[in-house]
This record gives sequence, C-alpha cells and structure tokens, in this order.
Amino acid sequence: MFPNAPILGPLYWIIMGVIYSVNLAGFYYRTKDSKIQMTWWKWLFSVLWFIGINVVIAGGFTLFGENEMRAGLYFTGLFGIIFIILGVGLWRLLNTR
Amino acid sequence: MNEGKKGFDRRKFIKTAGISGGVLALAGSAGAGLASGKHKESYTGWGRTAYGKDQFFNRKPFIVNNPTYEKVGESRRITYIEDLFKRNGELSRLLFAREGEVPLWTFEDGVEKLPEPLRAYYLEHPEALGEFRKSMQKSREQEENWKKYKHKYLLADAWSSAHASAIQGQGAFPPQPRGVPEESDFRGVNKEILQLKSPPHGSSLIKQITHSFGASLVGIARVKEDWVYQGYLRGVGKDEYEVPGHWKYAVVIAVPHEWDSMYANPTYGTSYDAYSKLRFIAGKLEVFLKEIGYAARSHVPPTSYEIAMPPLAIDAGLGEQGRHGVLITPELGANTRLAAVTTNMPLEPDKPIDIGIKKFCSKCKICAEECPGGAISFTDKPENVIRGYKRWNIDADKCFTIWNSVAASHARGCRVCLAVCPYSRKNNWIHKIVREVDPRDPTGIFSSAMLAMQKKFFSYPGGQEYLPPPDGDNLTFGEAPDWLLTEEWFNI
Repeated sequence: MFPNAPILGPLYWIIMGVIYSVNLAGFYYRTKDSKIQMTWWKWLFSVLWFIGINVVIAGGFTLFGENEMRAGLYFTGLFGIIFIILGVGLWRLLNTR
Repeated sequence: MNEGKKGFDRRKFIKTAGISGGVLALAGSAGAGLASGKHKESYTGWGRTAYGKDQFFNRKPFIVNNPTYEKVGESRRITYIEDLFKRNGELSRLLFAREGEVPLWTFEDGVEKLPEPLRAYYLEHPEALGEFRKSMQKSREQEENWKKYKHKYLLADAWSSAHASAIQGQGAFPPQPRGVPEESDFRGVNKEILQLKSPPHGSSLIKQITHSFGASLVGIARVKEDWVYQGYLRGVGKDEYEVPGHWKYAVVIAVPHEWDSMYANPTYGTSYDAYSKLRFIAGKLEVFLKEIGYAARSHVPPTSYEIAMPPLAIDAGLGEQGRHGVLITPELGANTRLAAVTTNMPLEPDKPIDIGIKKFCSKCKICAEECPGGAISFTDKPENVIRGYKRWNIDADKCFTIWNSVAASHARGCRVCLAVCPYSRKNNWIHKIVREVDPRDPTGIFSSAMLAMQKKFFSYPGGQEYLPPPDGDNLTFGEAPDWLLTEEWFNI
C-alpha cells in the first residue's frame, strides 16, 4: 500500500485491527444492553456479515482504483444491497429469543 | 462496568466508539481497496521480476500428464509459408519492386503465376489472398488517415518506435544465426564444461538466471518435432531440414506488455515493448548458456523463430492456449508474450498444467465479440483440426487486415483480444481470489458467475468501435495512461 514507506503498511493494518476490536467490543456491549442473547452461531453470522460488507466495500473501491468505474458501481450497488438486506434479516434474527 | 466517574460512562463510550469503529473500518476497507486497485505494484512483471516472484501461481495441483492441446489425427510440422509474416513477406517481395525494377507479380497475374510454395498455398486458401489484397488497400487508407491522427497518437507512436528500434536493423540483439545450426549454435561455446550436478540443478539454475535477466515466467520443455517450422531455417535459408539433434530442450520465457498501454489497445499499445524485452532476455540467456559450455539458439519475436511458441509454452507448463490463440497464463492472463532458447544443456522439463482455460473460453467468447476483424472463432468447442491438433482457428489474414486499419502510423498490431481477456488482470486481492478459486471449482459455477459479472459489470465498446471513422470511433478498451496522451503535454 505504501511502497515508498513500507513501515506504514503494517501500521495501517495494526490501526485497522484496533478499530475492528473497538467495533467488536461496542457490538458486544450493545447486544448486552439490548438484552440480545448471543449464541455462537449468532456471533458467527454477525462476524461473517461484517467481513462480507467490508469485502464488498473493498472490492468496489478496488475496481474504482482500477479505473473500472462502472464495474465498481455495479459491484458495490448489487452486493451492497444484498448485504443491507442480509443485515436487516440478521438484526431480526439476533433479536429472536 | 457501568460505574462511570463524574459523568464519564465507559460502557457508553465503547458502544459509541464501536459504531464509529464500524464506520472507520468500512472507510479503511474502502481506502485499502482503492489503493489495491490503483497500485502499479499489482501489475505483474514490472516489479519483483528478477527474483522469480512474478511466477507466484502454485502450478503443482494442476499438473497433468497430457497437455491441454488435443491431438486428433496425424500431425505434421508447420511449413514456413503457413506463417503469416513469412508468407506476406514473400508476397510483398514479388509485389513491391525495388527502385528501377518491375514487380515480379501482380494480382492481375493470378494465383497460377505465383512461384511455389505461394502458388500451392493460395490455391488451397484463395480467401487468404483476397484478405491480403484487402489489407494492402487498408494500409493505403491507414497511411492517409495517419495525417489526421498523427498528433493525437504522437506519443504512442514514438513510444512504440523507441521499443522497436532495439530490434531492427544491423544492430539488433540477439544477432541472427549464421550458417547451419550445428555451427551457429555452437559458435563461442566454452569448451571447458564443468560436470552439472543433475538436470534438476540445471533447470533450477537456468530459471533463476532467466528471471534475473527480466523474465516474468520461465518454463522448460522438451522440443517436440511437431512445433518446429519446416522449409526455412535462419542462417541457412529455404530448404527441407531435420530438427537439429542438439535442440533437446527449450527454455520458454514469458513477459507482459506494460499494462496501462496494453489496456488502451489498439491505438496506444505496442507489441514492441514486450518484444524488445524478450529479445534481450533470450539473447542474454543464449550467451550465458554458451559461456557455461552448452549450445544455444534464441527464438525471438517478432519473426525470428524456428519453433511455434504457444504449444511449446503449454509443454513447459506455463499455461494454456485461449480461444484467441494466445497463451493464457495464471499470472499474466493473455498479456503474455513468448520467446525461447533451445539448448543441449541437460535439464528437467516441466509438466503441462490444466487450469480449465479451454472450458472457460468455450463459455466466454468476449475476445471473439470484441475482435474488430472477426478473426476469432465463435464456436462453442474447438472445431478446427490444424496439422493434427484440434483447436479454435484464428484467421491470421483477417487479423492482419485490422493491423492495417486501426489509427496507427503503420501496421503495428491491434492486441484488443489481449486487453479484453478476463484473465488479463492485475495481481491484487480481488483477482487473486478468482485466480485461485476458479481452477479449483470442478462444477464451473464459480467461473460462470464471474463471467456473468464480467459481461454485465464491465464496459466493452464492441468490435467495430476500435476502428477509425466511419466504421468506428477509435475507441480503446481501457483509458490510455496520461504519459501516452499527447494532449496532456503538448498543444495540439
């Protein structure tokens, strides 16, 4: 990512790791406060959903970076909508007891 | 957890930070993705080359005993007259007289008046002669058109000429062989040969050395008689000849074109960037092999070959032949240009691979749809039997007509099929996933899904649009890099 300053690459991902951890901790407390009973499969689906939406964003922007604007828009649009729908479904699933 | 001091609620803070973290994570993913897409480092062949790091695809799981070309009948060697450039060269020498001389043949004389083997060839392929005549007409139009486009494409043309300069004329490297191969290939060979530890040692050494000369991909094949041209030999001339006994192995070398200009074909790209690289790599390898005591001969583009490259590269395990006739490799896709060095050094040949390219090409057909000349077959399966091997036929004469039609200073190629091929992609994470998953999916569902996305998401101008007006609009597949846009640097 940073060819002229290779130290910045690992640093970037360390910071990203911290951000992901904070996000996960925040989600943990939110589920506790919302009285959502988390099971192992609810955690699995939630983490997969979060990885998925990140991959969609990263994928779309990778295509933008390749100058494939149309492909990037279609990719983000199509899979973004799919993941938003999945996210709504997942939230409802998380709230079931 | 909840007992905050003086209004500070740690739990609330982490919850809020969690949401912010989610947004930041998405922004971080977007940034990483954008950098990954933009980054020139993911253009294979222009970075870690010297250390063999361009050859990153693990071929082991895909090794097969039988190469992916399909032998269906009695095979034979390729006669030199079947090669488009050799044939067109012979015909041009008859048609275009030197100053003060008269042409030795004109179209009005008819096929019967042509000398052999041209006569026999064109009697069997009359459409090829018609296509050549058309390409000559297009060449005149191209020359006329260039007056309109010479400023717009000045940098692209100059860039191409600069690359071509290294491979033309008396000073071209490597020098052409002189005399029979038994003399020429041994000229300058070190008489003092050290004992090689083993053929695998030889292969490993030669691959590392070839990478250090700039080769992105290197594979080793046994020289198969079927791939060696018949009827012409450099340094000797036209004659029937046996395959020289010392052409035991071929070190096959692949490099890509510079990627940004390649995507901007047909008008901004050139073949000569890769050609000149290949000539230097192969020529240096020839010298290296001779210095350590082995006979060597380089076979280099554009026309200094005694061996057909794509099947040789298949034998060397570099890739498979695509619908467009070009070798497709996992690392470079169709942006793969080839050269080879034949040698008698004891080497261990590589094995061919099968990563499912034939299956993919039977579904894809993007190259056939985008070919401005209609030179690429649309049939689902390879249907043509060519010299005993079944494959998709490429109409080289129609392809050459397009070289003479696009907005360039002369017939210096088209290469749209290389650019539009879905395999010709960067080495970044998103294409890496496709590259690794696709050949491991026996159902073909993954490749069908990827192909559907390729066709729906990406823009393809359509074959005719690559041509100059009135047939098209001089479009390119990808955007030209700014360093080839004349208008960015000069007032035109």
